[in-house]
Amino acid sequence: MTESIVSVFRALIFIVIALALCGLIFSVAGYSAPDMFRAIIDGAFLRTGALQQALRWGLPLFITAAGVVISFRAGYFNIGAQGQFYIGAICAAFAADWLNGLPAFIVIPACFLAGMTGGALWAMWPGILRLRSGADEVITTLMGNFLAVIVLIYVTSGPLKDPTGSGQQASSRPLDAAYRISTSYGVSPTIIAIAVLVGIFMWLLVNRTAFGVLSGLAGRNATMVTWQGARLWNIGLASFIISGALAGLAGTVELMGPNGRLASGFLPAHGFTAILIALVANLSIVGTAIVALFFGGLASAALYLPVIAGLPSSAIDIINAAIALFITAKSNIVDRFLRNWRKRGWTT
Amino acid sequence: MDDVIIAILRSATPLVYVTLAGVIAQRAGIWHLGLEGLMIAGACATILGTVLTGSILSALLIAMVICIVASILFWFVVEKLKANQIIAGLGLTGLGLGGTTLAVESIFGSQAAVTAPTGLPRLGAMFGAYGTLSILVLLMPLFVLAVWVLLCRTRFGLRLSAAGEHPFAARSVGVNPGRMRLIALMIGGVLCALGGAELASGSLQFFSQNMTAGRGFMAFAAVIFGAGHPIGATFAALFFAIVGAIGIRAQLVFGERVPHDLLLALPYLATVFGIWLSARLRGGVKAVTGFGELRDS
Repeated sequence: MTESIVSVFRALIFIVIALALCGLIFSVAGYSAPDMFRAIIDGAFLRTGALQQALRWGLPLFITAAGVVISFRAGYFNIGAQGQFYIGAICAAFAADWLNGLPAFIVIPACFLAGMTGGALWAMWPGILRLRSGADEVITTLMGNFLAVIVLIYVTSGPLKDPTGSGQQASSRPLDAAYRISTSYGVSPTIIAIAVLVGIFMWLLVNRTAFGVLSGLAGRNATMVTWQGARLWNIGLASFIISGALAGLAGTVELMGPNGRLASGFLPAHGFTAILIALVANLSIVGTAIVALFFGGLASAALYLPVIAGLPSSAIDIINAAIALFITAKSNIVDRFLRNWRKRGWTT
Repeated sequence: MDDVIIAILRSATPLVYVTLAGVIAQRAGIWHLGLEGLMIAGACATILGTVLTGSILSALLIAMVICIVASILFWFVVEKLKANQIIAGLGLTGLGLGGTTLAVESIFGSQAAVTAPTGLPRLGAMFGAYGTLSILVLLMPLFVLAVWVLLCRTRFGLRLSAAGEHPFAARSVGVNPGRMRLIALMIGGVLCALGGAELASGSLQFFSQNMTAGRGFMAFAAVIFGAGHPIGATFAALFFAIVGAIGIRAQLVFGERVPHDLLLALPYLATVFGIWLSARLRGGVKAVTGFGELRDS
């Protein structure tokens, strides 16, 4: 227990360092850093309806981040969450388009199935290339992200194009209101239920199944797990598929919930934020749920900043990036400091 | 034929500079996924510098200083704070992409593309059809050669490889691996600034958000495809550029019969193919290697 308290403190220390770096960047760019942070905290956590907004952005992020946790625990750097998220949303949109007119209780599950399958397949090819040939999954999943963006542009300006849409941003035809699982406002009991189910299943998978234990060990020492008779191929492929399916599920939720249609280049920071959430939570499912709400708040502030405070929304991207830069750091100095602190009995 | 070669050189040159930066970092034992961020920082600084100071030379200098400072920050996080190289590299890339957007917005008040009055010096009329290329295109082979000599024919290069492959052995002969990595990353910063400058200022002289579009990651893939050797990686980068140019060419020849988006995807597909091929030829990533360090408890 004390170990995990120490790691939480360490994460907090490095987040503070990251925020200090952000403050420096804001000042160099000519903004007032205190004003910027005040506006971000306002937009993220203090304004009326902030909790709903944090949930609206945080729940899909949590679903994707839970998938990232699965693949990172197994030792695979699947950083293609963004691409899997897009392909999931695209497959769900196709399913909704083909089944248009059928009753909602058929269409909605079909869309979810399509979305999860799409995401899983988009994670599977880098997984197979990695496991069969040893092709570095960092590059292949990254390229998968760029390819998915191109597929999204193609789909929204080709097969699913909305002929009445504006010229500014290509988008697909809006979903029939009967098939939506939430209003454009974004939070509904259905979405909360999906996120809770994902959370419970993933917690059980990680903490109470052989797969969870073996994949966690494989991430630390693959040789040992192989010697114990586990099949690395099965564990690896399963973790790629699960993480892809969850990213696809999040894409489907965004499509059928708040967005209601595919727009080219929607939510471009989703995958990166989800990876960050998984890392800040130290790859634990419970932690991911808490951290996702925090980053959900930040994501909602990205919309609040330009409209209400007149500040650029790229500030949020910079905060996320700076946290990513520092979050995996384990400095001896900080560790020594924390250990001394613990010895004096403040945290135990 | 000339226009095809010009197109290839135009898209290959920025990629080659950034690839060389990646090769030097790779030799020093750093998987440099921050290349994308350094490249866009170099591109942005060159254009903004030209707009603000009016001189391309001082703009290049500013770009180099910014990339070196960012490289030192990356070195500090990876070497001193022992952060995971891949995640920290992605963070650096995010800082580059977000920071350049913020800089453009704070100076010009909008996210629109910025055009610079002057670009890099051109080769001029004595090169005929190739006269519109920038001087960095001509210097590119020299840089490749220089990096090859530095890495493969000098004591410094040997020590750099030692610092990357076996830090303990390097330390036992009095080489400080940490310092070698710092030097490698700083040289890399300069090369990324040049690559970004060529991308933004070599032909059209403008900067727009996310204009690198994954070229930094492609350069990283070229390093792997080229087995960390400067010449091999340069040819890998050329290969990616040629595939991209073929795509543009195919569109001119076949017109509407080939879907436009498929051609845009060609360089990314080529990168995946390159990574797969080099893994097949050289064994690729061995099992799972020590990524468990991500998790503490």
